[in-house]
Amino acid sequence: MVTHTRSTRTARTARRLNAPRCALVESHADGTPRRVDRQEVALLREEWRVVDRWWTEDPVHRRYFDLVLETGQNVVVYHDDDAGSWLTQRA
Amino acid sequence: MIAAIVITAFDLRAALRLRPRLQALPAALAPLPGSEPLIGSVTGAAEAKGVRPGMRLGEALALCPGLELVEQDPAAAEQAWEEILRRLEDAGFAVEPAAPGTVFFDSKGVERLYGGLEPALKRALAAAGTTWDPRAGAAERRFAALAAANVARPGQALIVSDDRARSFLAPLPLQLLPLERSRYEELEELGVRTIGQLAGLPGGAVSERLGPDGRRAWGLARGEQDGGVAPRRQAMSLHETLEFPEAVGNELTLRRGLGVLVDRLLARPERAGRPPRKIALWARLVGGASWRRTVTLRESTADPARLRAALSAKLGELPAPALKLRLEISELAEHTGEQLELVAAEGEVLQGRLREGLRQVRAAVGAGGVSTVVEVAPWSRIPEARALLVPRDD
Repeated sequence: MVTHTRSTRTARTARRLNAPRCALVESHADGTPRRVDRQEVALLREEWRVVDRWWTEDPVHRRYFDLVLETGQNVVVYHDDDAGSWLTQRA
Repeated sequence: MIAAIVITAFDLRAALRLRPRLQALPAALAPLPGSEPLIGSVTGAAEAKGVRPGMRLGEALALCPGLELVEQDPAAAEQAWEEILRRLEDAGFAVEPAAPGTVFFDSKGVERLYGGLEPALKRALAAAGTTWDPRAGAAERRFAALAAANVARPGQALIVSDDRARSFLAPLPLQLLPLERSRYEELEELGVRTIGQLAGLPGGAVSERLGPDGRRAWGLARGEQDGGVAPRRQAMSLHETLEFPEAVGNELTLRRGLGVLVDRLLARPERAGRPPRKIALWARLVGGASWRRTVTLRESTADPARLRAALSAKLGELPAPALKLRLEISELAEHTGEQLELVAAEGEVLQGRLREGLRQVRAAVGAGGVSTVVEVAPWSRIPEARALLVPRDD
């Protein structure tokens, strides 16, 4: 049998690695997380801001928190200042 | 007889496919960045205002201030042209493409199929697609067929018999002859404006004044034999595409993307072990333009490292960040055999095991189950912008 040489393939799109996921976060009045996914925050290890791509139509304004929960789990969450939402991501 | 199908201003028409509104307006192909500021093909509306292809940009804008400049889209043109050639081939025409927008075929084989020369030409025009306004010409000589196609109206087929060929060619303008632009001007200054006037000059004088190209044009003008049709071998189209979530401009990322495409393309079963001889790299750029480079390998090879090395240099020529990268095998070598190595390269066994492991994973979870992590911007402050997961099915 002769293989049809004109076959085409659809483009397979590359996906982002480490894409942020939604997180359920309750925060203090100063904006620092108090509970993450219904777990109390035991320790705020580090906090930093990422402000990037302000020159584009899709700017990034994030406030990251590296936390230890009362279960001992380490999580990194951030507050998206533009969308007003909380997300979690490996930093 | 030899037949020619001509689509005038093909590159411009292809670039305007997504903006058909501009076809009715004065528009011209913009010069390539970094090249001499000469405009390319023009629309009929622009021509009516005195704008001519090859004119200086400043002169064209002075003549027609409302002239729309259309960015060149070589990839779209090449793709559209390939589609037309395939439609012609599917209709039974063994075509020899001369340039995008010009194709020849020998009518001998298809006349019986379609019941005569004229029905065959009509079929070829229909196969090319009426939206392109193709014109057809047929004659005993290539040049006469081309000239007939050029003077025919859109959708018309003009047949020139051999005894009428010289009288048919005589009043036509010199621009139909394959000569450099400066030569036309030189001839016009000498008062030679038509093909017939050139044909009437002594051959020796033409050779002396215009050189070998001029002598050849003189021969064509006199209806000398100019070769038959050499149909192309049906093109093999194997390609793999990688779409980026956002425009990628840095060369390192593009090289990595290219590496993935090389691996995927070499894994295609249609290749049947034959190494690529000619490869094309194509990119869709930010802003909608496209970019394309073709690489003909000095020695056909299926070695990914050598292919990557041959193609990577081209990535540096990308004029803008890319949204999509495509790698195509335009031509495969005929042989499948390669001289084996006496001693396997270091890591070959491990690589083999890894490939087998991945094959088993793929068999278990299906296509798309195996991906490669490609670092695209490891320095980025945005974590999700640092790396991509690229599916691989090789």
